[in-house]
Amino acid sequence: MRVLAWVVGLGALAAAVLWFLARPDPLAEADVAGLTGDVTRGEAVFWAAGCASCHMAADATGDAELVLAGGQRFPSDFGTFIAPNISQDPEQGIGGWSLLDLANAITRGVSPEGEHYFPALPYAAYARMQMQDVADLHAFLQTLPADATPSQPHELAFPFSRREAVGVWKLLFMGKDWAVPGSLTPTAERGRYIAEALAHCGECHTPRNALGGLDTGRWLGGAPNPSGKGRIPNITQAKLGWSAADIVQYLTTGFTPDYDSVGGHMVHVVENMARLPESDRQAVAEYLLAVPSVE
Amino acid sequence: MKSMLMIAALVASVSSVARAEEEDPFADAVEMRHGLMLQMATDLGKVGAMAKGEAPYDQAVAARAAANIAAIASVLSMDQFPAGSEYQASADSYALPAIWTAQDDFLVKIADLNTAAAGFQTAAATDVDALKAGMGALGGACSACHKAYRQPEE
Repeated sequence: MRVLAWVVGLGALAAAVLWFLARPDPLAEADVAGLTGDVTRGEAVFWAAGCASCHMAADATGDAELVLAGGQRFPSDFGTFIAPNISQDPEQGIGGWSLLDLANAITRGVSPEGEHYFPALPYAAYARMQMQDVADLHAFLQTLPADATPSQPHELAFPFSRREAVGVWKLLFMGKDWAVPGSLTPTAERGRYIAEALAHCGECHTPRNALGGLDTGRWLGGAPNPSGKGRIPNITQAKLGWSAADIVQYLTTGFTPDYDSVGGHMVHVVENMARLPESDRQAVAEYLLAVPSVE
Repeated sequence: MKSMLMIAALVASVSSVARAEEEDPFADAVEMRHGLMLQMATDLGKVGAMAKGEAPYDQAVAARAAANIAAIASVLSMDQFPAGSEYQASADSYALPAIWTAQDDFLVKIADLNTAAAGFQTAAATDVDALKAGMGALGGACSACHKAYRQPEE
């Protein structure tokens, strides 16, 4: 009986500790104090981070890509996530958000109300962003149109529908370390920042464990397509085997070295990368060649 | 006896190939579009190598490749896409049914390719920097159509 009381007591204590550790962990006002955003630089961050690819309406082209009304559906093992409205509408979108609100959302996965966001928003990658880039992005987002389409709720099964569980996920899988650690050439380090912090390549190209955490030991080694059809390719040198010039041309034009053209969600990524300066695509290529091969 | 069985198996397999061809009325259409795309890829390979710096810029070669690309684009039409020649209905077809349900948009994308290819003819004949810059718009036209109307390979 005493043993049982101990077990229950320890269990309750462990739960309390876990609840405490897994609570949302927002930034403080001081973390963004003194930062002023630059719209032009923010636009480059916006494309590099791929915001529109998920938050615009499905199949939007041209100026419609800048209407971030949400609604695209993203099936996963945990249910279907539906991209929310992040347009400048103050009611349905994020029009009223301060820089701190945006920084908490994308680098901590915490809403202005202090709740966890689901990691379908790739904050585990954006956590590595420089705060000046967040400020620039905030400035650029404020130039975009408002749209009053309400966000739709995600379609998730219990227990994945519980946001509390996300806190545990963050404890397990979120960190600021680079997936490809150590010092690289300055060009490759710029590429690492683009690929790992902004463009979140690993979210699709790296396999996940049963809890949805990235298997960083097989970084960019290919993964099942979450839509259920086919696989996202291994883009490490062991399987890709492209030269830096091949990678740059692909990210600029969408042409593979065989002159087939890019397909699927990667079309968005190429469109985004093509808007960056060529030096950034060169940097991504150099980084990609430095990623350890996964067989 | 064994050789009789082998002959029988051979005859059966040949006739099943012949039957599959008979049963696929779209085999010619699929072969035609794949041939056009293969020629396109071959010409893109020539200008692409110059864009990548793997081959020296040669104005005559670049202009001829760009002219071929424009010519192929001008041939693309519903002629190569008879209704029904779609993914899983026809061997080797990756054409999505949306080609026929959204035919107007499909034709707009072909027109966009023609516009991009015309622009690329000027760019490719100018110099290597113009050629490089021109490949982006051309590739965009290719992937815009492939994204909407081609089944991704597994």
